[in-house]
Order: sequence, then C-alpha cells, then structure tokens
Amino acid sequence: MDVRFKISADGTSVDEAGLKYDINDFDSWAVEAALQLKEKAGQGEVVVISLGPDAAQETIRKALSMGADRAVHLKADRIPFDGFAIAGALAAELRDGGYDLILFGKMSPDSSNGIVGPIVAEMLGLPCVSAISRLDVADGKGTAKRELEGAQEIVEFPLPAVLTVDEGLNTARYPSLKGIMAAKRKPLEVKPALLGDTKVSVQRLELPPERAAGRIIGEGAAAVPDLIKALQTEAKVL
Amino acid sequence: MSKPGTQIVPGKYQPPLPAERFILRQPLDTEAVPMDVVFVGGGPAGLAGAIELARLVKKDNDAGGTLGDVQIAVLEKAPGLGEHCLSGAVVNPVAFRALFPELNDSDFPFRVPVTKERVYFMIGEKAQRIPTPPTMQNHGHHIASLAEIVRWLGGKAEELGVNIFTGFPAASLVMDGSKVIGVRTTPTGLGRDGNPGSGYSPPTDISARVTVLSEGSRGSLTQAYMQSERIGSANPQIYALGVKEIWETKKPLDAIVHTLCWPLPNDAFGGSFMYPLTPNLVALGIVVGLDYRQTTVDVHELLQRLKTAPLFREYLDGGEMVEWGAKTIPEGGYYALPERRYGDGVLMVGDAAGFVEVASLKGVHYAMQSGIFAARTIFKALKNGDTSPAALSEYDGLVNASFIRNDLYARRNMRLAFQRGGLYVGGIKATLMTLTNGTLPGRKIDSHLDADVSREVVPETPFVPDGKLTFSKLDANFKSGNATRDDIPSHLVVGKDIPPEVATLYQHMCPAGVYERDGDRLVVSPANCIDCKATDVIGPRWTPREGESGPRYRLM
Amino acid sequence: MTNVFAYAEARNGELRKVALETVTAARKLADSIGGEVHALLVGAPGIGARADQLAQHGADVVLVSEHAGFSQYNPEAAAALAADRIKGGGYRAAIFATSAQGRDLAPRVAAKLGVGLVTDVTAVELNGDVVIVRHPMNIGKIVATISIANTPAVISIRPNTFTPVPSARQGRVETVAPVGDPSASRVVVKELIQGGGGKLDLSDAPVVIAGGRGLKAAENFKMVEELADAFGNAAVGATRAVTDDGWRPHSDQIGQTGRLVSPDLYIAVAISGAVQHLAGMRTSRTIVAINKDKDAPIFKVADYGIVGDAFEVVPVLTAAVREARKGH
Repeated sequence: MDVRFKISADGTSVDEAGLKYDINDFDSWAVEAALQLKEKAGQGEVVVISLGPDAAQETIRKALSMGADRAVHLKADRIPFDGFAIAGALAAELRDGGYDLILFGKMSPDSSNGIVGPIVAEMLGLPCVSAISRLDVADGKGTAKRELEGAQEIVEFPLPAVLTVDEGLNTARYPSLKGIMAAKRKPLEVKPALLGDTKVSVQRLELPPERAAGRIIGEGAAAVPDLIKALQTEAKVL
Repeated sequence: MSKPGTQIVPGKYQPPLPAERFILRQPLDTEAVPMDVVFVGGGPAGLAGAIELARLVKKDNDAGGTLGDVQIAVLEKAPGLGEHCLSGAVVNPVAFRALFPELNDSDFPFRVPVTKERVYFMIGEKAQRIPTPPTMQNHGHHIASLAEIVRWLGGKAEELGVNIFTGFPAASLVMDGSKVIGVRTTPTGLGRDGNPGSGYSPPTDISARVTVLSEGSRGSLTQAYMQSERIGSANPQIYALGVKEIWETKKPLDAIVHTLCWPLPNDAFGGSFMYPLTPNLVALGIVVGLDYRQTTVDVHELLQRLKTAPLFREYLDGGEMVEWGAKTIPEGGYYALPERRYGDGVLMVGDAAGFVEVASLKGVHYAMQSGIFAARTIFKALKNGDTSPAALSEYDGLVNASFIRNDLYARRNMRLAFQRGGLYVGGIKATLMTLTNGTLPGRKIDSHLDADVSREVVPETPFVPDGKLTFSKLDANFKSGNATRDDIPSHLVVGKDIPPEVATLYQHMCPAGVYERDGDRLVVSPANCIDCKATDVIGPRWTPREGESGPRYRLM
Repeated sequence: MTNVFAYAEARNGELRKVALETVTAARKLADSIGGEVHALLVGAPGIGARADQLAQHGADVVLVSEHAGFSQYNPEAAAALAADRIKGGGYRAAIFATSAQGRDLAPRVAAKLGVGLVTDVTAVELNGDVVIVRHPMNIGKIVATISIANTPAVISIRPNTFTPVPSARQGRVETVAPVGDPSASRVVVKELIQGGGGKLDLSDAPVVIAGGRGLKAAENFKMVEELADAFGNAAVGATRAVTDDGWRPHSDQIGQTGRLVSPDLYIAVAISGAVQHLAGMRTSRTIVAINKDKDAPIFKVADYGIVGDAFEVVPVLTAAVREARKGH
C-alpha cells in the first residue's frame, strides 16, 4: 500500500490516524529464522519481545501465530526514535533470559536507523553479527554470511550471540488458521518498558519537497556527455 | 470488423459456474479446525450476525445456561476487515440500534447526519435540479464509510471473543449430501503455474454446525449452493456496477447529491452520488446496471466524464483523489430473492441473499438486520440442540415478517420497470409505484439474466484522462491499494475463442483494467482484479484467490 | 573539544571511496569549529601507506593501527580501538559511514561510549553547541532533523552524499596499538568473497539501474548489467512487466508490489513510468530516464532525461561512466 504520511501538528511525529501497524519484513525474517532453528533442533523455545504502545500487540500476535511460544510486551506510550533508549529497555529484559540466540531485524523501515541490535549486544557483552543473509548453527557455534558492496563475508561466532537479519535469509511463513487460534492461548506478559536514556531527539519531521521539474538533456547517444556532466557537477552522484 | 448493429450476447461466451470447485463432497480433513458457527465473509451482515450470536450466548451463559463455549469464526478474504467493503453510503441506523440497544446514535461509526439533499437531472453537463423523489429521502440517516463501519463492528466482535480470520478466503463449501458441514480455505503461495512455490500454505478445513453465507454481492459459494440444491427465484438476480472515488477537497459539500441521466446512455439504468464524509472529504460514484445495451459502455469512464461537469468540478478542482474502488450491487429486489435462504447447516444473509433496495440505494441495514435474524435463529437452534433445516427455516420467517421483506416488496418492480422502456417510461412507472406504495402496476415484471441481454457493437468514444481530475484504469487501480502478488495463478475462468468484439466488451466492462483488447486478442491481467464481480456477471467467471489479494480500501 | 574523529574504511589493503567521504564530512564539521580531523585507519601491516590519501582529503592526523588480526574486518577489535581513541581523544564528534561495515561498526562504538547515534545522515551542522543532522526515514518519504546533545556526537553518513573534496593537510601519522589482542575476537571474518554472488542489495545500493519492457527481450538485460558494472556500486532492478514475463526474478521488481528503493541515483532504462512503478522509486535522490517516447510519463518525474533508443544510448553511457569512475 502506498502510504501517504502526514506529520502531526507539533511537527515531531507521524500522524498515525488511519495508519495500521504491521510486522516489518526484517522482523518477520528474524522470527522465521528462530522458528526454523527450533524446528531443526527439535527442541527449544522461541520468545518474542516487542516494545511499543498497545498497537505492538498486533505484531506480537502475528509472531505468536507464526509459531513463537510466548511473548513479552514492553509497554511504552510511544516508540522513541532513539535506538539507544529502546536498546536499554530490551537489554534489561534480555539480560537474565538465558537465550542462546537473540535475533533482530536489520532495521526498522520507519526510523531507518538499524542500530538497536548491535547496541543491545554491546550492553549485554555478547558477540554480534549484523545483517546476515545465511545462517548455520551447530555445536554452540554459528556461521553466517553478510552481504557487502560487491562482496560477501563469511563470519564465525560462538553462542550465545546477537544476530540481525537481512533479506535473503528466508521467506517468512504465513500464519495458519490453527496458528492464529493457538496464539490466543499463548502466554503474553505485559510490563512497562524501562527505556534507556534518550541521547538524540527529533527536532522536526518534514515531507521531502516536491520534485522540481526535470529537464530533457538531449536526444540519443549524443546527449551522454552532457548527462555525465550534470550527474557530476549538479547532482553530484558520479 | 463487425457490421453496425451486430449484437453480442455475453452469456454465449461465458463459461458456466465452476461449481465443482465451490462444492466439495468429501469428508473434512482430519485436522479440520472445529467451530460451531462460521460466517463466510466479514462484511456488515457477517459481523452483525457474529456479534448478535456472541451476545446471545454470553447472556445465556451468564444467566446460568448450559451452552458453554460456542466457537464463532468469521472468514474474510481481505488482508484486513473492511478492505474489500465498498458502499456509498447513506445508512439507516435501525439495525445498529437493534444490535446495540445500550448505545446511542452518537456512538455509532457514522461520519455526518444527512441534512440536505439535492437531486439533479443531467442534460449533458448541465445539472437541472428536480424535487427529491420520495424513495430517495434520507432524513434521519447518516453518511458513513462502510469500511470504517466494518472495522468498528470487527472491534466489537473481537471483544466478544469472535475469531476473526482475515486473509483467509473460503474456496469451497464442504457438503455431506445436502448438508453443509464446513468450509475449506484457499491455499497460499502458489506459483503462476499453479504449483506450490516458496511460502506455500495448504488449504485449511473448518467444520461448523451452521455455516452462514455472508459473502456479499455475487458470492461464489452462495451461487454454487443454490445451484446444487436447486434453489430458484421468481426472477434471476441482476446486478449493477458501482465505481466510487474518495476525494480530499478544498470546498466543503453541504448536502448529499444524486444525479440521473448523463453521462449514462438513455437506455441504461443508474445514476450518480456525491456525499460529504467530513469537512474536506467527498465520496462520489456512479452506478450502472450491467444490462446496458452497448458493448462499449464503460462505467469507470462514465465516472471520469461525470466529474468534468461543473456540478462536480466545483468541489473536485484543486482537490486530490485519495481512493478508488468498485463493486457490484444486486438489483433484482424482491422477486430475485432465493425462494428459501436456509438449508441443512446453512443460512444466507446480506447482499449474498439479495437484500438490497435499489430505489433508495440501501443495503447495509438490511444486511445487518438479516445477520441479526440469522444469529437469533442459530442461537435458538443451538440451545435446542437442533440445527436441522426445519429449525433453521425460522430465519426466513423472521426476515419475511420484517421491514426487510416489506421494503423490498413495496418497491418490487421499480428497477425492473427500467429494464423495459428505458429512462422516461421507467421513470413514469417508478413514480406511479412510489405514489401507490407499489400496488400499481402490481404484477411481477419478468426480467432476464444480465448475461442474456444483448448489446450492440458500437464504435468506441476515445477517452483521454488528464491525470488530475480524470484517471486511467491503471492509475485508478493504484488508488485502490491493490498490491496483489504478481505471479499468483489466474483466478479467472475465461471462455474459449473470445472474438474481438467480446474482448472489447470485457475491456470496458471491467473497471480495474483486467481485460484488454490487443489487436484482435484478449489479454488478461488477473492481478489487477479488485473483486468487484462484474466479470462474474457477464464475463469470465471469478474464483477466490489466495488471501491478501485484491484492494485495500480504507474509507470506501 | 573542537576536534573531529573519522573512521576510514578499508578493504583488501585499499581505502574505500566512503573513507574519503567520511574524512570530507569530518573536515567540514571541524572547519566550522576550528578543529582538527583525526582519522583512524586499521588494517593488515602495510595499510599505513594509505594514510597519505586521507591527509589529502583533510586529515590533520592519521592514527594507524596495523595488525594481522585486521586483515579482514574485525568488528570487536575495531570497535574497541575506535571507542578507546574517541574516549581518550576528547572529540566533539565521531563520523562513520553507513556502509555495510559501518552499519555494523558505528552502533557498537556508540554503545561502548554510552551514547546514541544517528545513521544514514545526509547533512551535518553545528547550531550553537548542538550537532544537528538530517536523516531520511520511511524509505525516503519523511526527512527528520535530529539534534544530538551529547559529546561526542556519533554520526554515520550516507555514502555518496559528502563528495570527497581535496583539502591537503599535514596528515601526521601516529601509530596506535590495538586494544587487547585482535586475534582473540569472538566474531571472526573467515573469508571475503569478491563479487561473484555478492550482489548489492537493491535497498542498500547507492545506484540502481532498472530496465523495462522497452528492452524487448531478456538477453538485453545484459546491457543494463554492464552499466551497473561500470558504476561499481549499482544494483539492477526491473519493472513488473519484465518480471511478469519472467525475464528477471520477482525479487528484482521495483514498484508498488515489489521493492521500494530510495537510492542516490536511479536510472530508468526503457521504462514508461506507470504509477505503480513510480511508487517504488520516486523518493530516489536523482532520477535519470532513457526512453524513446518523449511523452512517456517517466520524464515527468525524471531530473534528467534522454529521449532516444536505449540500445544506442546505454552502451555509450556505460563507456562514459567507466571513464568517469576510473580511480574509485
């Protein structure tokens, strides 16, 4: 759906009237990865944790419908922009959980920062591999692949670890009818979020200006030199 | 090239209803999800029924009754409630009051009460005001968004413990002899070749003691059930196609507006509407009977032309179209109602049963009231441990004794008067009928299936959208929120050897741009489909596709 | 506190272009407060030879740490060293890049310093004593202006936004030892695989070249791939018409029902510009369209257009881009 955003009256947040919350793709791949690991191991527990207002329960329910075993909702009036504040609350919740793997999506398409996973890892003193597109886990160790610009890295790490998930790792399953029904009976604990300090603040949000009218550089291959020049000197993208 | 005057009868090229897909005569899967009652379709009828049933059960349990936990499910094909619901809408609150006696009118999800109304006769672009016909008076009614209403009803249903499954289209009824024992959903994740791709999910069976068919206009399972059980009607059901837009406007609209005549051809039935939704939102649309007489009648294009009239430009200029959609409306009225709307393990409600009153353009309160009657019937049946056809037949009794039947009976020939004689003669007949409350002329007027109505092959009138006030079908489709997965298998059953003139007919029939005539052949782009069902009425047959397909209306 | 720290990214013994952009951004900020730019350069023994390039673009001091354990990206050791130098150096701000490596490194460093950070930053300035940055959100549909109150302000810049500007400084080299033993890192990069399957993701690529139905046949996408190759940091996309016909995988589709991208440069080759496609790319910073129909709707959103036959224009453009990109 092509969402047209509106900025709230005070200019520092998105006007959410008429908008629906949904799980983002990166998170759904992370949930899928956890479910697949549990299925492969034949044992284990998949816990879903989400921080946010009541609307976060939709997302939590979706993950439970996919097959997660239980959930924790860290309730906050609003999701702070500052990933540091979010990471503080998540780390506090995760610290004594005894998790072998903690999975995050690479980033939230809303705030588009991509920092919560690695900051949580630092706070917990755990190894972290970010933006993985392939994962194998065996005997307390893991191997992951990361996509770079024109290259790939193969990375090894011990468990327990924090991983953030990128596109290509898997295709998230659709919740089944049975899964949706079972989700209603799964434990969902609600607690207040103990947000970390806010270190950065949003001064204002703006919609990008309407694109200025462009121009036709010229016709045919003869126009290429002028295009190159425009890209170098005007647009500065080359 | 056809000679002028060539007639096309769409029924000749239309495959029969693929009923074998819609009725499965086999045992339910052993892993079937057990439910007590399933509502097929999460529109106003299904949700009102689910709410009323859940309330009755709760009240009974609280008073010490022994029913216990009654599992109610609502299956909705759209990804979210309301996303496939579309209506004008000017709503009579009577059914809301029946469903929520403890609430006030101000608690209901309406936008604006109707204060003023104006009706115009369009002579070309010029609007001539005429007195409001008695059938169209809307004092005491409210302008609303059906999608909003449905989301609100859905919230109420969930609070009562109703299981709402969005993104789960019903593919078939499962029957044991004449008895409906459950429903099977569509699979997900099939590739274009029909084989499972990545992300494949198999169909799910749901067992139910009673299945309520609340599929809305031109429901596939309803059609198949009626055909299988040979349930007929005095007249065949006929349909109109409505195309609707929502605009953000600079100038507020202070009245509900209806127009007749231009740009519809004189021998087509229908008209337009324009309603204020809030100070700066306007809903407008055009409704045209699918028994139109020329192959090139294009309801989407008619709406685009309509907008160029000063009456509409006054509000739309400087504004922005924010949503677009389309849906069919059953128009056969009283004589097209199925002779019984109950069966063994099944009830039919709402638009699927044809409870729409054309002259007043009303269907929402009939849908909800019929859902309420279905719920009361089912509750009694569950209490008595008797869900036999005899027990469920009480539903017809409730409907027949109610305003649903009375209103439809009063106007029973209004629409059909137009099928014969066009606008002027029909208009006279319709006025007479209203003045006499339907007693003159009293005999049933026969009607034909839309598919059997012949259409003349005529040249096309070119239409060039300007992209600001008027839009192409592709651009409009974008505003329906349609983001159907591109490589799903085609859900449309097209006849063999479609001649070029029929390809033209399909191209203009479909508001969403699914069909195109390319040279002499028909090109089908099924992912453009927004489930309006016009195609099922006079063109290729429609079948359910995987959940999450189709439009995503927010305010329709 | 007027000095600015910059992390210079290297790979395989060479500086990446984004390292020069980072130093350029740091230089700009340092100039506004009268401070120095100190760049940190880590790598296998011999990486120090690249310090000069950093000096050419504004580094007053280049901190060089050479160790076998830095032959591949070593996230824990690099983060520990960067945090240690930033903490001890009293910097006003620390600049990283939002490259694949930077996305991993910058948050670790910020967390070690106990501060937050803003990534994918497109503009930086100092307003009084507050660092203000701009950051696109929601796939480019919203732009946020954010203030960073703490010191150091940790910022990660968007690649291809701060064009490297020569600004020769002394570039005094300081050798710095890693913190702890880099070979003791828990996370170990075992292998770097060049190219071959290492596809730049459409959502990260600074440049996207997309082909449409006007290319006429699947084989002709080779031309688009060559243009992408000439850029070196480009991903290839396609329209729905093309993926419907099976010429390209569905995951390459850019549009309302496919991928939403917001690269710095989007080149639409033989694409008419249906609104469903535009929905997938209209927040791109610069849009170029090549189409032989001068009335194609794509020209309405393009910043620069060439009306012509893609089969003639694209090969010439490819050669010109290769020439222009020499030395990156």
